[in-house]
Amino acid sequence: MKKVLLVDDDVDFCEATKLLLDSKGYEVLLAHDGKEGLDKARAVKPDLVILDVMMPEMNGYDVCVVLKADPELKNTPVLLLTAVDQNLFKTTYTQAMGLMTEADDYIAKPVEPQDLVTRVEVWLNRD
Amino acid sequence: MLIKPSINILVVENDITILQKCRELLVNEGHRVRTAEAVEEALDIVQKHPGDVDIMLLSLELPGWGGVTLINVLQKARSEILIMTMSANCGEEAIEAMQAGAYDCIRKTFTADRFRTKMNRAIEAFRLRRQLGLLTRQRQAALTEVGHDKIHFTILQSLSDGVVVTDWQTNIVLFNSKAASLFDLTQEKTLGHPISACIQSDELLSFFMRAIKADSSLAPVMAGEEPVVKVGEKALRVHVDPVKNETGTAIGAVCLLHDVTSISAMDKLRDDFLSMVSHELKAPLSSLLMQISVILDGLAGELTAKQSDLLGKAKEKTKGMITLVNDILDYRRIQEGKSIQKIENLDLAEVLKRTVELMRLSAEEKGITITRDIAEELPPFAGDRGGMEAIFVNLISNAIKYTPQGGNVTVTLNKAGKNIGLKVADNGIGIPPEDVDRIFEKFYRIKTEETRSISGSGLGLSIVKGVVDAHRGSIRVESEVGKGTSFIMSLPAQE
Repeated sequence: MKKVLLVDDDVDFCEATKLLLDSKGYEVLLAHDGKEGLDKARAVKPDLVILDVMMPEMNGYDVCVVLKADPELKNTPVLLLTAVDQNLFKTTYTQAMGLMTEADDYIAKPVEPQDLVTRVEVWLNRD
Repeated sequence: MLIKPSINILVVENDITILQKCRELLVNEGHRVRTAEAVEEALDIVQKHPGDVDIMLLSLELPGWGGVTLINVLQKARSEILIMTMSANCGEEAIEAMQAGAYDCIRKTFTADRFRTKMNRAIEAFRLRRQLGLLTRQRQAALTEVGHDKIHFTILQSLSDGVVVTDWQTNIVLFNSKAASLFDLTQEKTLGHPISACIQSDELLSFFMRAIKADSSLAPVMAGEEPVVKVGEKALRVHVDPVKNETGTAIGAVCLLHDVTSISAMDKLRDDFLSMVSHELKAPLSSLLMQISVILDGLAGELTAKQSDLLGKAKEKTKGMITLVNDILDYRRIQEGKSIQKIENLDLAEVLKRTVELMRLSAEEKGITITRDIAEELPPFAGDRGGMEAIFVNLISNAIKYTPQGGNVTVTLNKAGKNIGLKVADNGIGIPPEDVDRIFEKFYRIKTEETRSISGSGLGLSIVKGVVDAHRGSIRVESEVGKGTSFIMSLPAQE
């Protein structure tokens, strides 16, 4: 069973999304802040990480940078989720952070559940 | 016959034979000649008779002071004097002299013809220089007079905006008290000094250059262009115009500076506020949408038909709210002229294909077929990706919204002359003629029996229009009630 790690401080969103992805046959692990997300990623070596950007303590950008610098995790696809204004996000993200090559994909929140499933499938079945 | 005014020439030479020869040749040409046999004597003449020496013919083989030293002194004190040098063989010393500012060198073994040719060229150069200098002074005088005009100056002083006027070489000739307080300018350190030395802003300087050299290769200042320039802590809305004389030549530039520091701070506050609101609204809406969806999918237990029905409506309302939040944010950005985030070379066909695929799901849910007809070869296009996506999403989702079950939406992208043409056509309910002209207005929504159940913010099309305008394109609509609607858009291709 493919393992998906979902890191988001919104517990309700996590719960509902877990139900959705469980139903598609994935093992979904949850973390509610950046640090916890990193620890779980290192411990369980997920096949995909879905990462919320706006989180307390350590935000999604920073988590992404650390993940991509970890030799054991750098090939794990990272899907960034953000509720930040989409266009604003794209520009600040690409310009200020220069990370477009670091994260593998991003999804604007709120996401249509079916779109999320499609993206997850694409990343997990790409080989 | 045109009589050229005679030129005052001072010959400095200690070899009397040569000195006499020079004097003779020059006097024969109608010039007024003075002579000196030593550097000190020459300097004395220059100082005592200012304006009486136009050209100095200077020997580079004088005892005492070197000729080059004299040239350096004259270049500083009396730069209007053109210096011509003489030496035995015009070697190193002549080159050194010319580097110091001398015009040319004549060999002392000259023939009369050779001498005349060389001197005439020097005289011509002097005349040109003098004309140029005169022009410069005229230009400066015209602008400096403005500052001396008491009434005008008093009016300028009472403006609440800063005013800075420069001459055509961007030296400051006038500024008012508001400008002084904005940039800490003092009379002594500012008037006559280049603007670059007084105000630390390359951006501002470039606006002055553009205003003055409107006819040059620099991009001219565009009408209505009022950029906000940051100078130190201050944010200034800048408007620069050329100052022209009666012949239409730019003799300088005038700059109006409106302090928008506090407004900028407000803008920042509002941006922060909106991005906070955006996050605070979108995060719970994300959860809601996800929660409702998984319940509707039966992932949280069996549902009765009534529960499904009610939840389905709740989901639609939630999505409507999401669209509204997105539209408001988009609209704000377009209002601020930020609809163009980043111009890049875009493969419009690819952007459109992706958008169509994204929309296909919601179309199929409604039993609507989307057909796309995208030309193989399209002219190159540069634009903002986000903006283009916004156009496609809005037009296609509208077409889906206002087309009944089983309808068709056709998206066409092709070459239209020098432009790229996009057409989104549906066979939906159509737009009543009286509403066609108003559909691009913000918050305008057509209220009929058929549209009542369709949710929307009334911002989608005004966003589309904003983006199209920002890309210098055009958009129009053709519609017939009951038959369908076509949005036809044209975007300029890259040249």
